[in-house]
Amino acid sequence: MDYLVNFIEQFWITLKVSTFYCIDISPQLWEGTKLTLGLFIVTLLLSIPCGLILALLRLSRLKFISFLVNAYIWLMRGTPLMLQIFFIYFALPMLGIRFQSFSTAVIAFTLNYAAYFAEIFRAGIQGVNKGQYEAAKTLGMSYGQTMWRIVLPQMIKKILPPLCNETITLIKDTSLVYVLALQDLMRIAYQLVKRDFDLSPFFIAAVFYLAMTLILTMLYQRLEKYYARYDD
Amino acid sequence: MPVMTTDIMINAQQIYKSFGNLSVLKGVNLTVEKSEVVVIIGSSGSGKSTLLRCINHLEKIDSGSIAIENELMVKNNEANQAIYQPEQEIKRICSKMGMVFQHFNLFPHMTVLQNIIEAPMTVKKMKREEILPLARELLQKVGLSNKEDSYPSQLSGGQKQRVAIARALAMQPDIMLFDEPTSALDPELTGEVLKTMQNLAEDKITMVVVTHEMGFARAVADKVVFMDGGVVIEQGKPEEVLVNPKHPRTCAFLSRFID
Ligand SMILES: Nc1ncnc2c1ncn2[C@@H]1O[C@H](COP(=O)(O)OP(=O)(O)OP(=O)(O)O)[C@@H](O)[C@H]1O
Ligand SMILES: [Mg+2]
Repeated sequence: MDYLVNFIEQFWITLKVSTFYCIDISPQLWEGTKLTLGLFIVTLLLSIPCGLILALLRLSRLKFISFLVNAYIWLMRGTPLMLQIFFIYFALPMLGIRFQSFSTAVIAFTLNYAAYFAEIFRAGIQGVNKGQYEAAKTLGMSYGQTMWRIVLPQMIKKILPPLCNETITLIKDTSLVYVLALQDLMRIAYQLVKRDFDLSPFFIAAVFYLAMTLILTMLYQRLEKYYARYDD
Repeated sequence: MPVMTTDIMINAQQIYKSFGNLSVLKGVNLTVEKSEVVVIIGSSGSGKSTLLRCINHLEKIDSGSIAIENELMVKNNEANQAIYQPEQEIKRICSKMGMVFQHFNLFPHMTVLQNIIEAPMTVKKMKREEILPLARELLQKVGLSNKEDSYPSQLSGGQKQRVAIARALAMQPDIMLFDEPTSALDPELTGEVLKTMQNLAEDKITMVVVTHEMGFARAVADKVVFMDGGVVIEQGKPEEVLVNPKHPRTCAFLSRFID
C-alpha cells in the first residue's frame, strides 16, 4: 500500500515538473515552428506555379523543350534533396553566387518540389478528356483560355489526393534544413534534448508536426468536398 | 452577270486526308448552301467524322480546298499540297461554325448555364448580363429552362446533348455541324434531340448532320450524301438517295436499315 502511494506521489511530481518543463520550452519550439511554417509556405507558393509551368512545358509539342524538362525532372527526383541543398549551399558560392541559409533552403526546396508537382500536374492534365479540348476549340477558345478555364479547373479535382500527400511530405522534409544550421522545429527540439537529457521536446515537436499536417488534411478535405459538387 | 456565289456556306473540294498509311478521304467534294440541311450517311469507317472534323479544322487535310462562306481556309499549292491560311484567319473563319459531338463534351465542372455562357464571355468578351438573355432563350428552345443550375453529370444523355446544342448556338454560328448526335443515346432519348434539331432546321440555320437516323434524314434533309470508302458515292434529294438509290453500294447500305 505504501509502495503504491509512494509511486503515485512520485508520478505526480514528475508530471508537474515535466509539465512545467514543457511549458517552459514551448516558446522556443514555437519559434522553430514559425521557421518551418515559413519555409513550407514560401516553398509551396513558389513551387506550385513553377511545377505548373514545367508540366505545361513537358506537354509541349516541341520535342526539345519536353526533353529538357524531362531531364530536369529526372535530375531533381533522382538525387537526394539533401545533396541538392548541399550543392546550392557549397557549390554555388564557388561560382561567386552566395545565398543566405534561408534563401538556400527555399531555392533547393522549390527546385526539388517543382519537379514533383510537375509530374502530378502532368498526370492530371493528361487525365482530362481530349473531347474537352475539341469542344473548347470549336467554340473558338484559344490554347490559353482552354487551359485556364477548362483544363486546369478539371485537373485540380483529379490531383487533390496526390497533391495532399506531397504537401504533407514537404512539411516533414523541411526538417532537412538542420544541415544549414537553420533553427527549425526539428533542430531546436534536438538541441533541447541534447541539453536537458529529456525526450519531451521530441514529443512536443511531434505534436506540432501532427497539428500542421492535421490542418493541411482538413484543408484538403474541404477542397475535395468543394470539388465533389460535380462528376466527370 | 456575275455568278451568285454568296449562298454557298461550305465549299470543300477534292479533300484528301490520311492518317499515316491509312487514307481516309480520297477526293471528297461537298457543297452546302445557305439554310440547307445536309445529312451524311455511310457505313462505319467511311470517313464521315473525318470530313466534318476537316471542315471544322479539328484535323488538317493533306490536299484540297475548303471555303466557308466564300472565305478560303485552305487551298492547294502547285504541288497539290494543302496550304492553310494564317492561324488567326482560320480561327475567324471557323467561328462561323458550331459543332455538336457524339459524346457531348460538355464542361463537367460548369453548370448548364455556365457551359452556355462560357465561350461568349471568354471568346467574345461579352458581359454576363449581355449574354444571359440569349442563353436563357436558348435553354428554353431546347426545353431545359429548369436545368440551368444542374451539372452535366446530373442530366440524362438526351438533356446533355440538348445543352451541347444550346452551347454551340450561343456563339451564334451560321453553320451547325453534328457528328452522330444521337449515337450515344438510349433509343428512347433520341427523339428529343432529333426534335430539337428539326426545330433548328425550321429556323433556317445551315446544318450538316452525320447520322444513322434515316427517319430524320428523310423528314428533314434537303440533301443526303452517301459516303463509302472515303469518297462520296451518291448525293441528292432524300427521296432520290434514300428511296431510289442509283448506286449498288448505296442500295446495299440502305438495305440494312429496312425494318
Ligand atoms: N486520329 C486518327 N488516327 C488514326 N486513324 C483515324 C483517326 N481518326 C479516324 N481514323 C480512321 O479513319 C477512318 C475513318 O474514320 P471516321 O471516324 O471518319 O469514320 P466514320 O465514317 O465517322 O465512322 P463511324 O460511323 O464509325 O463514326 C477509320 O478507319 C478510323 O480508324
Ligand atoms: Mg464517326
